[in-house]
Formats: sequence, structure tokens, C-alpha cells
Amino acid sequence: MRKRAWLGWLFAVPALVMYATFVLRPLLLTVQYSFYDWNGIGASTWVGLGNYRRLFTDSELFASILHAFELILFFSLIPVLLGLFVAATIRGIAQSRLATVARTVLFLPQVIPLVAAGIMWSWLLSSTGLANELLSAVGLDSLTRAWLGDFGTALPAVGVIGAWVLVGLCTLLLLAGMSKIDPALYEAARLDGAGPVREFASITLPSLRQEIGVCVTVTVIAALASFDIVYIATQGGPGNSTMVPGLEIYYLAFSEREVGMASALAVALVVLVLACVLPVQRLTRDGSR
Amino acid sequence: MGHGPLTSRFVRAALASSAVVAVAACSAPGGSSGTDNANASAAPVTSATCGTEPITLKGYFETGFPLPKELSTEFSKQFPNVKFDIREDQFAVITQNAPRVLADDPPDLMRLPQVSELVKDGLLKNLDGYAQVFGWDKWPASQLEQMRVSSTGERGDGPLYAMGLNFSMTGVFYNKKLAAQAGMTSPPATLAEFDTVLQKAKDAGITPINQFNGGATGGLAFPLQNLMSVYGEPGPINEWIYQKSGATIDTPSNLKAVQHLEKWIKAGYLAPDINSQDYATMMSRFIGGKNLFIFDGDWESGNLDKQMAGNVGFFLMPPLESGGKRAAMSAPLTYGISSKAKNADCAAFFLNWVAIDQKAREIAVKVGGSHPMGPADAYMPPVQQGTVTASTLAAGADIAKDNGAMDFIANATGAIYAKSWTPQLQKLAAGQQTPDALLESVQKDYESQVKK
Amino acid sequence: MIVNRRETLIGRVLLILLMAVTVIPFVSLFVTALHPAGTYPSGLSWPDHPQWGNFADAFRAANMGKLLLSSILIVLGVVPVSLLLGTMAGFAFGHLRVPGHRIGFVLFLLGLTLPFEGIITPLYYQIRDMGLLNTRWAIILPLIGLFMPFSVVWMRAHFVTMPGDLSEAARIDGAGTWQLFWRVHVPLAMPALSSLAILLFLWTWNQFLLAIVLVDDPAKRTMAGALGAFQGQWGTDIPLLCAGALLILVPTLAVFLVFQRRFVAALLQGSIKG
Repeated sequence: MRKRAWLGWLFAVPALVMYATFVLRPLLLTVQYSFYDWNGIGASTWVGLGNYRRLFTDSELFASILHAFELILFFSLIPVLLGLFVAATIRGIAQSRLATVARTVLFLPQVIPLVAAGIMWSWLLSSTGLANELLSAVGLDSLTRAWLGDFGTALPAVGVIGAWVLVGLCTLLLLAGMSKIDPALYEAARLDGAGPVREFASITLPSLRQEIGVCVTVTVIAALASFDIVYIATQGGPGNSTMVPGLEIYYLAFSEREVGMASALAVALVVLVLACVLPVQRLTRDGSR
Repeated sequence: MGHGPLTSRFVRAALASSAVVAVAACSAPGGSSGTDNANASAAPVTSATCGTEPITLKGYFETGFPLPKELSTEFSKQFPNVKFDIREDQFAVITQNAPRVLADDPPDLMRLPQVSELVKDGLLKNLDGYAQVFGWDKWPASQLEQMRVSSTGERGDGPLYAMGLNFSMTGVFYNKKLAAQAGMTSPPATLAEFDTVLQKAKDAGITPINQFNGGATGGLAFPLQNLMSVYGEPGPINEWIYQKSGATIDTPSNLKAVQHLEKWIKAGYLAPDINSQDYATMMSRFIGGKNLFIFDGDWESGNLDKQMAGNVGFFLMPPLESGGKRAAMSAPLTYGISSKAKNADCAAFFLNWVAIDQKAREIAVKVGGSHPMGPADAYMPPVQQGTVTASTLAAGADIAKDNGAMDFIANATGAIYAKSWTPQLQKLAAGQQTPDALLESVQKDYESQVKK
Repeated sequence: MIVNRRETLIGRVLLILLMAVTVIPFVSLFVTALHPAGTYPSGLSWPDHPQWGNFADAFRAANMGKLLLSSILIVLGVVPVSLLLGTMAGFAFGHLRVPGHRIGFVLFLLGLTLPFEGIITPLYYQIRDMGLLNTRWAIILPLIGLFMPFSVVWMRAHFVTMPGDLSEAARIDGAGTWQLFWRVHVPLAMPALSSLAILLFLWTWNQFLLAIVLVDDPAKRTMAGALGAFQGQWGTDIPLLCAGALLILVPTLAVFLVFQRRFVAALLQGSIKG
């Protein structure tokens, strides 16, 4: 029996081999490279923690990390809050025809490549794009600008693209969660004279703990590891104002050939994602499991 | 279960080996993959042709510029055994990809960004052998100077590592109809006159200057370098670009140039959304008559003569005082051969053909708009008078007389354009950077990049 | 359920608004694609003479036939193998509960949040040294590895819910472990497998970073990677770019609309479990 139990590992070996070869090995190598100064072609020199020190002293590198956090506002906070609001409002019509159509429509941004989202929105947000046309139409000419080319608005504009991609997913996830709440709870609350706000705070929100946790996790990872949208829409500009860690790693490793520095930033990014996601998981999953 | 122990041993072995895979490579990275042929002197070449066997040249060209494609088509017509397999990207992408493509997917012919680091890493073929065979060393030396790189990475001197398809010239293009509306009857003769025209255009409700400055492409470097040569000499600027030791961009005259550019920005002489415009947007607006001036190069001459026939003019940046010496960015359209290229001989033969073949020289002028490379007395295709192509070619002669040719400040190091000029100039355009801090910051980046 | 009218009305308006915001970028892309090539149309204006030919031009310029084939080959290389390996490992950890299965599972769990950027640099050199750069294998093999954490965790979650009695009965009938797996458990796992297949298809098709770093030739990339190259080459011509982008979206959108129920369900479950 004991032998047969070990035999079961045979089933796991192929998966383990692929995972080890194409994920774990590169991951360990990333850590190793991060201690070297290497241009990817010639010989390398050991620099210890030098690259990590630069990460905190080089304002440009550090700024990319701060930008990623700013993107969390748009990729996570807005989709989750907006999703909660919309889901709560349409809960009553969740079974209607309109809602069925909405399920399909709201999912469209999830299905297309982020690259396509970047192309569409670069066009919408350009100086002659639809966003400015709408503003002009309502007499707000003074606000029109090249949204992705303006220091003040470029990062938020990238954030808006991310929010557009993620808000449908969050709304539907939360709606699905709400449909599992026992309607009797709401009936009881109404009988007690609870308004929509109290109903939301005391019934909806607590029951959705797990779904909210999922939304936050998925969107926070999307924000911290963003690459596709920024690569297409701004390439990090104007003047590094939209530089994010993912793009900086790509530039450092493949165009500036600072492989060591790129690896140190990659390690920081991996750690950062874990540091943000694990507490969320802990907070939202404990109660339900 | 007789085979149990054996299988379980196999399982353990497999697990252990995957663990080994995971922690393999404990030696320092890059130890073994060093390039041995780095900076090897050119092997003697006795002849270089494309032979008669079918051959496919692998090319990596720049998007939006039809010249290399037209040349390759004509070449295939004359040498039917040669075919081209061409990949295209925008210049910024080529810059990012250059080292990796040259090392790991070597093209026979490639549009090159700044070359000194590529040479230091041994990624480009030393062309001295070909230069001797084809007699390139007898051409005017200034044509090839920018593509020579010494063993320490300084440019301007040493073995030849690239070749031009033609020799381009930059300056100011203007829309004649709008110029008339702004009261400009002849090109300005001094910088002060230029400033006056800009103000008049603005007063007349015309956007004076439009320039691409978005994404990864800081096009304000064009007017900036023109202003630098107005306030200073081209010599020190070239030394900086060539990485001569002790060279600096942070000089009093360059500071005046940045301040002047800042004055233009603050006065509203530039379109408000330059930070979001790429090169193509700038061109399409200029052709559409949306602004008076752009700072650009003669590679657009052919295109502009076609799309704005009779309505486009060109002048060199005017000097401080009337009749003063003029300077301009003027550089070969550089193409190189990977040190690992399979068909280097044929690629070199092509580069030579571009310079000496009559048909190729005609294409270089008509499609490329620029002066062909080659011997000083070589065939010069006729150009119709009154076209912008004629004026850019004439400007080339003026610059040669004033000894005012400069390479582009964006070409000083591989990363200086993307990492320093572009973000800094975008900040300047947005009023978020001061002229002195701009130069100081670019110089700091430059020093750290040159040291490597 | 008592829901008052006003609430329903607000709900409907809000939902329509959200749908409009979702759809407008697609509409703008479509309208722009109909303008004459080389122009800079503004906003949502309908062109005087819609240029339907732009789509044909973009199809030719982007070499769409080749791109489709390439993406399909990559999907065929990635999805079936990932499904098989993920299911086997999920079975070992979730159902057989092999000794030390917790450690194995946690190892995969750790990979669940890993951003691809975290390993892209060494991966490049590894693929180069394997001589696979610029081949479809450069995308296929790493993607299988990168999909393992999710596939294993997903399938384990399914197998954990399978009652042990089922296997006991089969074993009494003399089935070996492989037969037990292949004949009994895989058929039962079909719903979980098909959802996973949909997710993996989508993630492969839309993979961008690996494609642009590891494969230079757009004709050997995924659709998203090819779109990136298309933007690089034709970004100077907005209507053509929009037409190309739309064409590249069509296959995914078609597959999505056909399988939309499964898609939505898969994506919702996928996020919950992920």
C-alpha cells in the first residue's frame, strides 16, 4: 500500500518537470542574476546587493513602483467600488433579459487581448479622439487635452483603460455572489424598516467577503504586473510618468542590457505581488473556510 | 506489485533530477557565451559578390521609409538570384531590439541605431576589408567618419562598422501658403527674424511649429540641436556625440539653446499636444496644412514634393547674425551587417551597389530625397528645380562649405535618446523641467552610460 | 420578491450606461477603420465613403491567414498538454493524496501569483541556449510551465470533491491506477476540464509578453503578439491599424459569442478559484 501510494507521484511528475524547467529554474536564476552586473553578452561581475540599493536610491526606478501602486487605485479600487454599486443596484433585475445580455457585453473586455484595448483607447484618448469630442460637445473645451501625452493625466488615463477592462469582471463576480445570498435576509431587513444603504452594509457586504477578496486579488495583480496596455499606449512616457515595473524590466533587460538590474526589479515585483495578495487572501478567506 | 521498488526509485530519481534542473547554473551568468570575435580585425577580403546561386538576404528595416525596400527590389531585378526576407519595425523598436537581434537572430542587413556599444560587444562586422576591396576608403572621408569606431568606443576614427544608404540633411520645412499668410516672404536670415515670423504666425492664428515629441520619441531634439549650433560650434557637439573623453553637453552655449527652446514653448509657438504626437501624426498634420513649420530631414523631401507639390519649402536653421556660419544634423542612413551574418559578402556587395549603381543613386535621390554616398565625382541624378528635394540637396552643399555637419545628439549612446533626451524634453515641453537641470541630468546619464 | 419600481428603473439605466461605456471603444474602432487609409479621422464621425476595402487591405498587410494558423498551432501545442498534465497532477494531489501531496500542492500554489515579467529575463537566455528562439516552441513550452500552477490547483479543487468510494469500487473491479484515472475520473471531470480549456485557450491566444520577447517573426507569434507587430509596422496609418485590430479580434469574439455561457461561467469560476 505504501509503495502504491508513492507510485501516485508518477502522475504529478510531468507537471512538475515542466513547472520546474520553465518557471522555477528561471525564477531562481532571476534571483541569481540580481546579484550581478551583466550586459547579457559578455562576462558578469558580482555586485552583491548593489542592484537592490540602486532600486531604492534611483528615483526613476523607485517611481515605477510608486506608479504601479497608483494604478491599483484605478485597476482595483474603482472596479470593485463601481462593481459593488452597480451589482447592488441591478440585483433586483438580475434575472431579466437585459441582465442576460449585459453578462455577455460586460465580458467583452475580458476576452480581447489587452493590446487591442490599448490600441482602442489610445485612439479614444488622443487629442482628436472621442473623449475630447464629448467634452467639447458639453462645452468643456478647456478640459480637452491629449490625455495620454499630458504629465498630469497620462497615468490616470492608463488607469482608466485598466478600469474599463476590469469593471465588467468585478460587477459580474459580485453579482454572482449576491445571487447566493438568501432573499429571506433582505425580506427580513425590509420588514425591520432598513433602507437600501443599511441593507447593503449589514447584509450584502459581509456576505460578499470572498468575492470581494477575489476581485481585489485579481485586479491588484493586474495593476502591479501591468505591461501590455502601457507598452502600447504610452511606452512609459511622457517623461517616465507612466513607467511601471513590468515595462522597466523589459527595457532594462532587452534594450539597456542591464540584466542584473532588471532581475533585481523582477524579484522586487514578485515579492511585492505576494506581499499585497497574501494579506488580502488571509483577510477574506478565513471566515469562509 | 513486483516492480514497485523500481518504479518508486524512478519517481525519486525524476523528482531529484527536476530539483537539479531547478538549481542548476550556479556559475555566474554569461561566462561561456562570450563573443570571441569581438573587435577582431577584419579578415582580408579579396572579392565580395552575391555569386550566382539563389540566396536570401535577411533584412531588418525601418517602417515608414520606402527607400531600402525600393533599393532591394531594384537589386533583385538586376541580380535575380538574390531575394530579400524583410522584417520592419519603427525606429524606437529597432533601437530596443538591436543588441538581441544582432546576437541571437543575426540579419545580413540591418538599419542601425547608435553603433558604439554594438561594436564594443562585437555584434557588428568590421567592414574595413570590404572598404579596401570596393575602394570606399577613397570616398570623401567625412561620409564614413560617423561610422568608424575605435577600440575604446569613441566614434569618428578607427575601423568601419556600418555603411550609409545615403547621406541625409536636416533643417526646417515650411508650408508656403501659411508662410505667406504670416508675412514671411523669404526664409529668415537670422534667428531673430525667425522668432519674429513665429510670433507673426501665432498672431495670425496659425500654429507656428508642430513637432513629434510623444511616446519614446523626443522630437524636440531636432530644434534643440539646431539651436545649439546657432549658439555654439558644431565641433564640441560632435565630440560629445563621438564619446571623446572629457566631452560635455552641459555648456553655457547649449544652455542658451535650451533656454531659447523653452522661450518658444512658453510663447506658445509649438502645438500644445506635442507630447502625445508620434512622427506620423506630425507628418500628416503638416501635409494637411495644420501648421507652418516642422523640423525634419530630407528623407521626407520626395514624399513632400509629391503630397504638397509646390507648397513646401526648406531652409537651414538661420545663424545668430546674417551671413554667419550654419550647421545642421547630417548623417548617413546607417545600415550594418551582423558579425554573425550568413551572407555578409552579398550584403556588402549590396551596400556598394547602392553607392555606385546609376539606377540605385537615382532611387536614393528620388525616393530617399538625400544625397547618395560614394565618390565625389560620381553620377548625380538630375533634380527638378523649385522642388524641396532641390533645396535640401543645395543645403547639403552649403553645410559642406561651412564645415557644419553634425551627427545627431540622440546618437551619443545607445540609451541616451530613450532614457534621457526623450523624457527630459517631454518634461521641458510640459514646463516640468528647467533648462539647466535638463542639461545636467542628460550629462549625468551620459557619463554613467559611457563608463560601461 | 418585492422590488420597487424606482429601483428597477435606476438599475436598468445604470446597466445600459455601463454597457454603453463597454461597447463604445469597439464602435469607435469600427468607425475609424472605415475612413480612408492614411487620414486622421476625428472621434465617432461616420465617413462619407466607407472604405470597406480597408479590411481586405489589412487582411493582406497583416498576413492574417498565416497569423491565424500560427495562433492555432500554438493553442494546439499548449492547451491539450496543459490539460493532461494539470489533470494528472491534480488527480495525484487531490484524489490519490500521495505522501507529501501538501508540499507538492503548495509548490504550485506559490506560482499562482507569479507575474510573467518576474522570469522573462532568464527565460530568454534559457530558450536561446535551447536553440528555440524564434520558433513556436519558444512560446508553447514556457506557457505550459506557466499554466501548471493554475491548471493543477483548478483540477485538484475538482478531484477533492470526488468521493473516495468511487475509486474503491473500481479497484475492487481490478482497475489499475491509470485505468481508474483514464476510464473513471477523466470522464467525470469533463465540466471542470472544458472550463479550464476555455481559459487556457484565451490566455494563450492573448499572450503578449512571451511573444514579443521570444519570437521576432510575427507569423510565428500569438494573435496578441502579432497585433503588437502590426501596430509597430502600420501604426502610422490609423484606419488601417483599426481595421487590422478588428480583424485580429474577430476570431476570439466569434468563439466567445458561440460559447458565451461556458465562457462566462469559466471566467467567473476561474477568478474565484484563482
